[in-house]
Amino acid sequence: MGSIIREWVGFQQFPSATQSKLVELFGKLKEEGASTLTILVMGKGGVGKSSTVNSVIGERVVNVNSFSSEVSRPVMVSRTRSGFSLNIIDTPGLVEGGYVSYQALELIKRFLLNKTIDVLLYVDRLDAYRVDDLDKQIISAISDNFGKEIWRKSLLVLTHAQLCPPDDLSYDVFSARRSEAVLKTICAGSRMRKRDFEDTAMPVGLVENSGRCNKNENDEKILPNGEAWIPSLVKEIIGVATNGNKSIVVDKRLIDGSESNDRGKVLIPLILGVQWLIVKWIQRAIKDDIAKGGKAL
Amino acid sequence: MENGVASVGGPQLGEEKNVENQVSGDKVEERVLVGSDRLKDFEDEVFEEAVDSPEQLQDLGAKSEFGVCVKTVGDSSSLVVDENSNMENEAETFEEAVGALVEAGDLEDLAAVVGGERSKDLVGGDSVDKIDEGGTTSEVVCHELNGEKEVSEIGGDGGNEVSMGAVGVKCSHEVGLSREILSEDGKMEELKKDELGTVYHNTGGSVGVVQLQEDNGDALNDNVPKVDTECHQVEKSGELKGDDTVLASGNGVPESEQLMDNSTNLDMGLQGVSNGDVKDTSVPVDSGHHEEIHDLNANSAVPHTVEATAAPEILNLLSEKFVNESNEDIRDCVATSATLREEYNKTEPPCADEKVNGVGKESNVIEEPKNKVEKDHEEKKRTQGNGEREIPTPEKLASLSEKSTGPAPTPVRPAGLGRAAPLLEPAPRAVQQQQQQRVNGTASQVQSQQIEDPTNGEGDEYNETREKLQMIRVKFLRLAHRLGQTPHNVVVAQVLYRLGLAEQLRGRNGGRVGAFSFDRASAMAEQLEAAGQEPLDFSCTIMVLGKTGVGKSATINSIFDEVKFGTDAFQLGTKKVQDVVGTVQGIKVRVIDTPGLLPSGSDQRQNEKILNSVKYFIKRTPPDIVLYLDRLDMQSRDFGDMPLLRTITDIFGPSIWFNAIVVLTHAASAPPDGPNGTASSYDMFVTQRSHVVQQAIRQAAGDMRLMNPVSLVENHSACRTNRAGQRVLPNGQVWKPHLLLLSFASKILAEANALLKLQDSPPGKPFATRSRAPPLPFLLSSLLQSRPQVKLPEEQFGDEDGIDDDLEESSDSEDESEYDDLPPFKSLTKAQVAKLTRAQKKAYFDELEYREKLLMRKQLKEEKNRRKMTKKMAAAAKDLPSDYSENAEEESGGAASVPVPMPDLALPASFDSDNPTHRYRYLDTSNQWLVRPVLETHGWDHDVGYEGINVERLFVVKDKIPLSFSGQVTKDKKDANVQMELASSIKHGDGKSTSLGFDMQTVGKDLAYTLRSEAKFCNYRKNKATAGLSVTLLGDALSAGLKVEDKLIVNKRFRMVLSGGAMTGRGDVAYGGSLEAQLRDKDYPLGRSLSTLGLSVMDWHGDLAVGCNIQSQVPIGRSTNLIARGNLNNRGAGQISIRINSSEQLQIALIGLLPLLKKLFDYPQQMQFGQ
Repeated sequence: MGSIIREWVGFQQFPSATQSKLVELFGKLKEEGASTLTILVMGKGGVGKSSTVNSVIGERVVNVNSFSSEVSRPVMVSRTRSGFSLNIIDTPGLVEGGYVSYQALELIKRFLLNKTIDVLLYVDRLDAYRVDDLDKQIISAISDNFGKEIWRKSLLVLTHAQLCPPDDLSYDVFSARRSEAVLKTICAGSRMRKRDFEDTAMPVGLVENSGRCNKNENDEKILPNGEAWIPSLVKEIIGVATNGNKSIVVDKRLIDGSESNDRGKVLIPLILGVQWLIVKWIQRAIKDDIAKGGKAL
Repeated sequence: MENGVASVGGPQLGEEKNVENQVSGDKVEERVLVGSDRLKDFEDEVFEEAVDSPEQLQDLGAKSEFGVCVKTVGDSSSLVVDENSNMENEAETFEEAVGALVEAGDLEDLAAVVGGERSKDLVGGDSVDKIDEGGTTSEVVCHELNGEKEVSEIGGDGGNEVSMGAVGVKCSHEVGLSREILSEDGKMEELKKDELGTVYHNTGGSVGVVQLQEDNGDALNDNVPKVDTECHQVEKSGELKGDDTVLASGNGVPESEQLMDNSTNLDMGLQGVSNGDVKDTSVPVDSGHHEEIHDLNANSAVPHTVEATAAPEILNLLSEKFVNESNEDIRDCVATSATLREEYNKTEPPCADEKVNGVGKESNVIEEPKNKVEKDHEEKKRTQGNGEREIPTPEKLASLSEKSTGPAPTPVRPAGLGRAAPLLEPAPRAVQQQQQQRVNGTASQVQSQQIEDPTNGEGDEYNETREKLQMIRVKFLRLAHRLGQTPHNVVVAQVLYRLGLAEQLRGRNGGRVGAFSFDRASAMAEQLEAAGQEPLDFSCTIMVLGKTGVGKSATINSIFDEVKFGTDAFQLGTKKVQDVVGTVQGIKVRVIDTPGLLPSGSDQRQNEKILNSVKYFIKRTPPDIVLYLDRLDMQSRDFGDMPLLRTITDIFGPSIWFNAIVVLTHAASAPPDGPNGTASSYDMFVTQRSHVVQQAIRQAAGDMRLMNPVSLVENHSACRTNRAGQRVLPNGQVWKPHLLLLSFASKILAEANALLKLQDSPPGKPFATRSRAPPLPFLLSSLLQSRPQVKLPEEQFGDEDGIDDDLEESSDSEDESEYDDLPPFKSLTKAQVAKLTRAQKKAYFDELEYREKLLMRKQLKEEKNRRKMTKKMAAAAKDLPSDYSENAEEESGGAASVPVPMPDLALPASFDSDNPTHRYRYLDTSNQWLVRPVLETHGWDHDVGYEGINVERLFVVKDKIPLSFSGQVTKDKKDANVQMELASSIKHGDGKSTSLGFDMQTVGKDLAYTLRSEAKFCNYRKNKATAGLSVTLLGDALSAGLKVEDKLIVNKRFRMVLSGGAMTGRGDVAYGGSLEAQLRDKDYPLGRSLSTLGLSVMDWHGDLAVGCNIQSQVPIGRSTNLIARGNLNNRGAGQISIRINSSEQLQIALIGLLPLLKKLFDYPQQMQFGQ
């Protein structure tokens, strides 16, 4: 199981206001009977997955580089605090050369074997304006690999949330529209039925990882709308974890691909046998025919 | 070590201002005096520490016009030797003093020019060398130097260069210096300078390579306690059609020293740039050279005390050092140095120190450099900022007493502005410019001395060009002014430098104009702008490309400061290509906005559609500059943009990137946190991000030399603004003028290039695909192919030349009816054969074979006779009334009218449903047009091999002239090929015929049209000669070819075809020849043995390709054939194949298992070794 479980030192680094909120939230989770929470973080390269992990843990647990990808394989970070353990799995970016990197997905799947995913954080940027086909492909690749059920346990995280919206839009309007655009893509990419997707009502969390992030009087990092984002993100995460849907268990079956390839595997020898019989039969028929033909001559 | 050497450049004294004076011999003295005074002042103040005895330094730069030596001041005299090649060389002088002590006794030099050799160098303190001479002109130069008391030595140097074309013209010269001679002569008071004219040749158009260069350097020393070694380097550059080859020869001339108090070293490196191909010589190439040269200069820690130029040179040094320190400083420094220089020229301030201080005001860094001047060698060792170039350290130079001549690739800069503006190190270039001017000044002086007319040369024509260039310069300065940029701006300085460089490239003696032109231009520009009346004749078309959502439309809106296009943060804002015209600061700007592109690999088809529409849109009005937009704050990692960039390259060609500026939007965004969690600096962020984009573009364009300038943009309405309301970036830059200036600069440079015809591409077609040289070898080999003549239908089945018939007749007669004479033979059934003994069986089969052979021979003979008969009849028919022939035709027409199945292609042995051969059977209809499918035999398994159709028809014009048409169209998933051939031949008289053909076929993406004609003579029975001509139009390149072919038929069994030819196109020639000999069985075609030897030779671009091919087929036994084939070419590649086919010995097939078995056996062995 990957990395050693360590005491959550970074927790102490949070501002006290944040700490108290988090304690409350985790307490709620404990009441539900869960003692571990496993979070999987996925998304394109360079959107801020690793930075988000660092922010949530409160420590620099994953190296971050602005210009090249530092994470070439999945990394699991585990922290325990008063009997509760938090696991966050950081993954490499899912894009390579303008295409979905199936190699990276493969790596992730193998890493996740026998783990249970409570929450998936799908990370994208808030300050990007467009969603394109590639996003959709990434999403459908995730669906294909982990099953579309995973989207029921997902949270959309938009990073770089400290921005000044263009076109004189207000911040809230901007972030709402951006979230909506990404959610729409997820809906289309995950191939879930629209109704199902709407029922799921995937929540959105905003994140600002930069050291320049504004802070409120409690020294909490806040978004331009004044909200302290770490507690609200954790709240959303816990909300998803307890939303009643089953956690995704990554087992051999899931990893080996969808069962469609295996369906009817048992029939193969049978079919071979039948083929053999048919061939035999035809051969016999031909031989008979030759024999007959010989007589005729 | 101290750099206590002041070097004085005589010519430098002259500088522009003094040129006039120099022209007249009388004034020479005056000038010199002045110069020396100034020098003294200068030295005193500036170089106190550096020089041991500064006071003693004196300098004289003198040039003797009439072979008189000028020796006025002090003891020193300087010599300058210049040469100009006919090709227009630029001369550069450098001085370098290295603090190594070298002894110099009394040295004198004699420079003799020797022709016919390559230059060499001399080594050792004693020897000096050189000079140059052109292969054609040889001049002798002698110079000698005197000190009063002693003879000081001088370094002369020669660089030379040799270039050879295919024709092999060399120029070389050598100057020999002999000490003894000098000593004998004792003192010489005369200084002579000669100009050496070197002539270089371009070799034949095709291979033309050339180069030239030469130079002499002299140094005079007067009293010097210590003398330093001078090193100079000569740079040569050659341009080979687009290839840049630079030969650099460095001479280290060690020099001497000794008794003199002051040393004056004057080195002159002349740089010759061959302008032979001015068109091909691109500006960047030159800048590359200059930079190199510059580096050399920079390495010399010795300040030059040359008066007028002294300051700039110091700056040069300084700036050089600054490079290491900070780029920004450099920029300032450069800008100041440029202006400083101008000031010097204008004002000739008495004291250099003042100037230095003056400079100091502008760039506070200058003081520092001064000090640094003293730190010599360590400093010098420093490698240059640009890792690309290797710069010899000074020590190396010093120790280089030999010149190393070796081709060294010069870094070549792509067109455009070169490096990214913020990262620029303009200093070297700007300084270089100054130096160059100075050098040219020298050159012109030297010339003037001989010619007595400073404005010799091209005169009016050139002046006109210069005026135009001047206007461009003015225009650009006005643009810069309107954008609020001073000439100190990096971009402005660089463009001006380039303009100057271009001018020098063009102009022979134009160098000295450079400095003036800037002054005048800038004055004129200010005047015009102040008046405000004069409309500015300038417009610029900018095209904007980039991913969707990066802010293309928003940027355009920002440029015009009004909303020209609607933008939307979440929607695709721009749906189609559109342009907008507006004015910015009174400058007319047209901007083409394009729909956003998609980065994903799977979206490239969509991108292609968009880009094709863009391409169509810009066909009529191509943009002057392309902006490629991306977001500064979006790190595209993992080559995420590569598919997009590649698509752009595919559609527009790599040349689009030569005129592209990378624009990073959202430039006000905060840099991301650094690896340790602290914020990284904005500049670092921009630099890294720029690098990523530039690197991606380089890869996409496949040109690693590309360095697209980068400009930053921030369109956000909340962007910080300065008091004037202009948007300001976090680093304080006002982005809009910068972006516009970059765009305009590239338009201006393009204009200048067009004016000076420096570049091939016409201004109107910035993205013109580079015209390729026609594939001559390919065309030639198709020309050399021996083609059968078209024949009339009735001759169709005759042997190719008819000669065979004659040859065979005699031999045939013996066998006449042999077959019929044989006793009757009863063939046995299979069952009967099975009963025979082995011996019987053999006898039986032998007999059977013999009979078969005879039968076939008989049939052949009958067939031949029949043909002969028809021929005779046809001949007879001509004499008969026409109705007979009509009848004949009717008959033959009637015979063909029943559809008959054509012989099918062999069906596959098994009935593989995937092999569709059987689907494509066809009937021969009565239609004269023969239409058949074309089978691609090398296709994939289970693939439908039919990819085209073939159409043929033979016409007969006037019953005499056969005209054949055949065409073939093939199309597969990737490309379509069309091939069409129309051929006709006319016989006149016996043995003479002319054929004419027209071919059309696709070659690559172009259609090639070939018109060829051949005449065939058959004077002797056994010999046939053919001469042919062909003209091919491929793309827009026309090539013409000529061939001669001779066919020799020695006897029935042996024949030989020899052919040779040449093909020329675009000044390029390819020669080729081939030989084919064939030896065949005695009773061909019955016998199966056949041997052929083929040999082909092709020479193109001096690249000789020889190929040889041998094939032999020998029957072994009754039913076995052995076929051996081998080929080999002169590159050492070859192939041998031996093939045996047999219809009886099945066991032979087992041989096929050999490789397999070997593999199997090898495998375990390898396993063992592996373990």
